[in-house]
Amino acid sequence: MERIEGYAPIRDYAVIGDGRTCALVALDGGIDWFPVPDIDSPAVFARILDGRKGGAFELQPEEPFEVERRYQDGSNVLETTFRTASGAVRVTDALVLTDTSSLAPMRELVRRLEGVSGAVPMRWRVEPRFDFARGRTRTGTRSGRFFASWATDALSVNVWDAGDVQIDDGTVSGRFELRAGAEALIDVAVTHREPAVIPTRRNAERRLERTVRFWPEWSRHAAYEGPWRGPVVRSALVLKLLCFAPSGAIVAAPTASLPEWIGGGRNWDYRYSWVRDASWTLEALLRLGYRDEAEAYFWWFMHATRLTQPRLQILYRTDGSTRTVEQELAGLRGYRGSAPVRIGNGAVDQVQLDVYGSMLDAVCRYARETGRVDGDTGKEIGKIADYVAEHWRDRDSGIWEVRSIETHFTQSKALCWVALDRACSLAADGVIPDHRDRWRREADEIREFIDENGWDAERRSYVRAPDMPELDASLLTLNLLRYDEPGGARPNGVIEAVKRELADGPLVYRYRGEDGVAGREGAFLTCSFWLVDALARAHRIDEACELMDELVALANDVGLYAEEMDPETREFLGNFPQGLTHLALVNAAVSIEDAKAAR
Amino acid sequence: MTIWGALAGGLVGTVVLTSGLRIAQELGWTRMDIPLLLGTAFTENRSRANVVGYVLHFVNGLLFALAYYAVFAAVGHAGWLFGLGLGFVHALFAGGALVTVLLPAVHPRMGTPWSDAEETPLLEPPGFLLRNYGDQTAFGTLLAHLAYGAIVGGFAAHLAGWT
Repeated sequence: MERIEGYAPIRDYAVIGDGRTCALVALDGGIDWFPVPDIDSPAVFARILDGRKGGAFELQPEEPFEVERRYQDGSNVLETTFRTASGAVRVTDALVLTDTSSLAPMRELVRRLEGVSGAVPMRWRVEPRFDFARGRTRTGTRSGRFFASWATDALSVNVWDAGDVQIDDGTVSGRFELRAGAEALIDVAVTHREPAVIPTRRNAERRLERTVRFWPEWSRHAAYEGPWRGPVVRSALVLKLLCFAPSGAIVAAPTASLPEWIGGGRNWDYRYSWVRDASWTLEALLRLGYRDEAEAYFWWFMHATRLTQPRLQILYRTDGSTRTVEQELAGLRGYRGSAPVRIGNGAVDQVQLDVYGSMLDAVCRYARETGRVDGDTGKEIGKIADYVAEHWRDRDSGIWEVRSIETHFTQSKALCWVALDRACSLAADGVIPDHRDRWRREADEIREFIDENGWDAERRSYVRAPDMPELDASLLTLNLLRYDEPGGARPNGVIEAVKRELADGPLVYRYRGEDGVAGREGAFLTCSFWLVDALARAHRIDEACELMDELVALANDVGLYAEEMDPETREFLGNFPQGLTHLALVNAAVSIEDAKAAR
Repeated sequence: MTIWGALAGGLVGTVVLTSGLRIAQELGWTRMDIPLLLGTAFTENRSRANVVGYVLHFVNGLLFALAYYAVFAAVGHAGWLFGLGLGFVHALFAGGALVTVLLPAVHPRMGTPWSDAEETPLLEPPGFLLRNYGDQTAFGTLLAHLAYGAIVGGFAAHLAGWT
């Protein structure tokens, strides 16, 4: 793997996490992204956003090496094997789960090194830079350990059998030789607003073993037995990492400001819970049988939205608060010079009417599968449906949260129809108050509006908006959400139009028109999986399987996807790993199996 | 009557002191967490440690109020200003000897300069003037104890009839 000015290709990262935060591990052993203590906190390692001063944890052989890696089976524990002329070393990386019965660090990154063969010279270096390198990091030693602190954050670096520790200019490093059969351990223990807990080797190893045991036990319950079980389970494991355990929120991705085009300015912070993405994640988790996570999200969502109901904000912080002020970090250069680096998200104030359809569809599935929606919650959901009936005629910014002027996006209108349709179903089941007459009447009006303004008979497809007569891949979601009868002329027309106008091989662009933001972007991987899903639902199973195989082959070496991909170079673009891509993969795979079963 | 006044002041003062330190944590001034520090002397379980720590901290608050009362009785004078002065002394004692020297000496899970951290999980020691927990810790601790002292002094004076 070659770094370009200190930056690893996005494709070369793997993710580890503990349900509170995540870290990105590069193929060369560098940990270049680590927000602490939580997934939406400032990062202490942010070399992915500034190759010179972002801070990182490097660990690799001191001589030329080849590397291969994998996740342990059904796990989010990563194993990287370095092979050199002198031998081989295996590194096991994990953000370990806390053992609440004992005194453990608040967050703990454990790297275990095992000598596999020969004797390999190794080097490691930890360069903590709190608050995206804005904090004045203070370093020193306490209890024989390296300590770094800033404001109310601190971390200790705890090293066993990994050489003599050198402290120099705010970094700690070491060199050592690892022989076959020998083991070393490096542990980064993080604290926030409380005294640090300094781990012992025995307890750190015990927590690592506990973590190693947990993940396969969790993932073996994935209810999917089709030909893509490996990618589906990997996707479920990614989605689990995006579930913020302390609250139940589900974030869109664990990173911020990875660019949608190298050198471009489309760099956004995805460490928030988008109602749309999270609702679809809930659906994917339910389809895989993970009710606990779905239930946690549902109750978090009902609590988080209480202040704004019946209006839904499009995104929330993981703690349910609504403050996501967007700011630019001028001190960071951005991934390979892709500036500005943004944290926070200014799209929070947008109107996006499609979220109501995604949300009510998820509630409908949740209520059917769990039967756990109480009367008060049902009333709140009923009010949300009333709000949709009242507001579907409004202009909005649409699913892609464009920053140009608001308009009547066809997909938004159709998802308002979905919202009212699902509300009718919920009312028929007695889950929510019965306002079906009004909801059905408004739903019919929506359909008339779309038929008159959103359908292009010549193209045999829906269009992006009445004043934007172009195609939009999000119109595939109309097929997925059964806006039209699956397999009918209209769903097939949209599929053909998307293939004709937006596809580039297996990859699909979101749209080709303008969106109020300067610069290019790659093909949007979620849209490719939507196309698979739409093909399956249209009973075009062979085409769906063929495209699915092509897309599965595009994942990186450990089965992960970013948000976008450059169709020419196949380079990953955008935040990584992207929940929307992985949940679309899960839904596509399950839809194919459903279609096969119905054949 | 006067003892009850001091005890009432101790209770209110401890609430204010504890809340003040908690606010200081939230404001990013300090990582000091007194209930956690006290509670982990008795249990490794974080949740239990917090509960035990809060109880101990309130008991300590009442005991210190009795100590303040002893000083008021010996001098024959109480008041919020005198309490403020005792609070200053209290803060020096807490930040200088109690938490910095005595607590690490008796706390089974806290590091000292001689710890090698191999056998038991160790809590980070507070360091001189509690600086390990953040540069502003001493300042926050001083403010909280000044408030505690003034409240105990005020309550004792008002309820005892001393001026």
